[in-house]
Amino acid sequence: MAAVTAAAPSAGLRSLSAAGVLGFFVVWQLLASSGWFPPRYLPGPIAVAATLYQLATTPYSGATLWGHLGASLVRFGVGFALAAGVGIPLGLLMGWYRWLDDVVTPFFEGLRFVAPIAWVPFAGLWFGTGIGGPTLVIFSGAFAPCLINAYRGARFADKRLIEAARTLGASGPRVVAEVLLPASIPSIVAGLRVSAGIAWQSLIGAELIVVASGVGYMMVQAQLNVDTRIVMAGMVAIGAVGVVIDLMLRLLERAAQRHRQA
Amino acid sequence: MTPSAAVATGAVRPIRGPREPGGWRRVAIGAAVVAAALLLWFVAARLGWITGARFPTPTDVATAAKQIVVAPGYSGGTLWVHVWHSSRLVLMGFAIAIATGIPVGLAMGTSRRAEALIGPVFSMLRPIPPLAWIPLAILWLGLGDSAKLFLIWVASFAPAVINTYAGVRNVETVLVEAARVHGARTPQLVWHVLVPGALPMIFTGVRLSLQTAWMTLVAAELVGAFVGLGKVLASAALDINPGMILFAMVWVGLLGAAMTKALEWVEKRALPWLR
Amino acid sequence: MSHIVFDKVGRSFTRGGETFEALHDIDLEVRDREFVAVVGPSGCGKTTLLRMVAGLEFPSRGSVRVDDREITGPGPDRAVVFQAFALFPWKTVADNIAFGLRCKGMAAPERQERIARYLELMGLTGYEKAYPHQLSGGMQQRVAIARSYALDPDVLLMDEPFGALDAQTRVVMQEELIRISRANPRTVLFITHAVEEAVYLADRVVVMSRRPGAIREIVDVRAVREREGWAGFERIEEVMDQPSFVHLRSHVWKLLREAVPEERKSA
Repeated sequence: MAAVTAAAPSAGLRSLSAAGVLGFFVVWQLLASSGWFPPRYLPGPIAVAATLYQLATTPYSGATLWGHLGASLVRFGVGFALAAGVGIPLGLLMGWYRWLDDVVTPFFEGLRFVAPIAWVPFAGLWFGTGIGGPTLVIFSGAFAPCLINAYRGARFADKRLIEAARTLGASGPRVVAEVLLPASIPSIVAGLRVSAGIAWQSLIGAELIVVASGVGYMMVQAQLNVDTRIVMAGMVAIGAVGVVIDLMLRLLERAAQRHRQA
Repeated sequence: MTPSAAVATGAVRPIRGPREPGGWRRVAIGAAVVAAALLLWFVAARLGWITGARFPTPTDVATAAKQIVVAPGYSGGTLWVHVWHSSRLVLMGFAIAIATGIPVGLAMGTSRRAEALIGPVFSMLRPIPPLAWIPLAILWLGLGDSAKLFLIWVASFAPAVINTYAGVRNVETVLVEAARVHGARTPQLVWHVLVPGALPMIFTGVRLSLQTAWMTLVAAELVGAFVGLGKVLASAALDINPGMILFAMVWVGLLGAAMTKALEWVEKRALPWLR
Repeated sequence: MSHIVFDKVGRSFTRGGETFEALHDIDLEVRDREFVAVVGPSGCGKTTLLRMVAGLEFPSRGSVRVDDREITGPGPDRAVVFQAFALFPWKTVADNIAFGLRCKGMAAPERQERIARYLELMGLTGYEKAYPHQLSGGMQQRVAIARSYALDPDVLLMDEPFGALDAQTRVVMQEELIRISRANPRTVLFITHAVEEAVYLADRVVVMSRRPGAIREIVDVRAVREREGWAGFERIEEVMDQPSFVHLRSHVWKLLREAVPEERKSA
């Protein structure tokens, strides 16, 4: 419940919002054109937009924007899928088998505090610029939410459902697959959303260092060439993709909820 | 026991989170498992399964440790120099982020106008991951401390704002009404009701801010820096020194954990009314 | 001197394009230092009545005045005791009670004295430093009442204050409320859906109809109480034995029950 009495946003508030956004771009463009800053270092929004358009068709550092995005997304997909594919089943099993919980948790707790980015040196050492490097980095960050949320879903699943299953003769694995998994879906999907966000972020970090393609790589090359427009264009692209990924997962979340009510 | 004595001695104690009975058994198993893993590591190194080319042996790590702890250290300084430098930066940037973020979140949570004005711009910039700001920061500010501070601020500002905003909006309406009924004007309402009510969520935001700040700094130092744990990692990677890499990683984790624990300690002290 | 006047008060609200009338043409006067209870079926708008006096909501038609002043917002002169206690969880018992006094700008020594007095009045001595979550429901409500009383308000507004308590605690609190009301009489508007509670506590009982809420009848309990001689009784069992009490209670129940078929008709 809101502390301020809730009401539909009035026209006045909506125009304030519009003014805010507009003001942001206007001030930016003014600062860029003012000449106070070297234009190489502060391109205006129009220049950035133009660059985005240009990058879509003209390759830079080996590929067009779509090419780089594609490379990034492939890495994201692999790392994310691996994190979910290992984390979710493991989390569910840990929620059911206490001994597994006792064994895995110490490792997990220990490794959790190592920021994903800190894996980059080993990633480079073990995988060069291959896909293994970013996958490792993404996995280290995206694994935790998947595991934790699956675990929580399983542990806090309705006990009565579990009891019902057991009195009906279900074995451990069957309980996990047919009771805990469905019961944990909301928690798991919420975890996937967090995990995806972390995965996308960690990917960018990895791409700043140990790769030869991808949006992060493109930005680093642009930075070395002091091409700020491309750096900013890259930032916009990364942000946009991040939003799209989150939106898709939010739809998934809603679908999962609707399925529950049914 | 009189009520106040009960409260004072802590005999009436708020219930903690899920601390299961048999906690000692868990710790024992945990310790045993970790010990077994370490043992495996030693044995593998002895047997030559691990050669130190890709994965460090215990000896490699020990050598690296010795090198960096003793002056003149490694890659620009001893362990202490790097740790201190990194920690100092994180804490400074983090402090600035909170000092700026919480008021903004408060403003957005209490004033519909502020929310309408700032919100959309904020939502526009937020999806850009902090790490994506690194190239820009290097372009604008170079490889020194100011770039790092900027990045830490960028990383920690958003969680602070968002969680403060959410915390304020989540304060129960009835409490706000009770305060107004008692004659509170807006400053009193904010200080006595909205801020304390929002504190649990503010702390969550602060914790997130700190973690993100630390991660961003290490990343920034990895990409390019003169000093710091990230720099150590980068140098160790270039020198192909897995022992040093592992050692630095351990320290990254340790510091991250220490900061989080310290924050949890502060949180517990600041929120005595929570179960 | 505070009396409350509801003058042709109506309250409507729109939801999803439709307009609903919550209150219809309420004319009611609560005299100075009178204890008036309002009973009615759920959704009849009785809480809205209270919130309008409190200044947390405003009438769509008509006016609500306290001492001939129109109400523009909430304030310490019309203290509210909420059903959900609404204690500040981060403040100790003493700080909760102190809150309104500090808003008033009362000096510390005077504050302490007043807090101590009301703690004692509500049987809370010794719990000054406790936090709300450490107290039982009954005790929390005592703190809420102490917090309101400490303001020395002209008007006391109680919104189903004992609704969240278990039956036994409820009776204890009712007896206490009678006791303090007699010691410190003030104008009270008391919302409840428990008929017995209303008849036991109030001078007059206002019975409301279903939405749109209107006043069906106002029952003068005080006249009966004084006539039948149980005005001074404190123990609830003694009062509940009185035939006139039983009669009053049944009368109010009948009035309420008659309100229900109206819903079935419109369904």
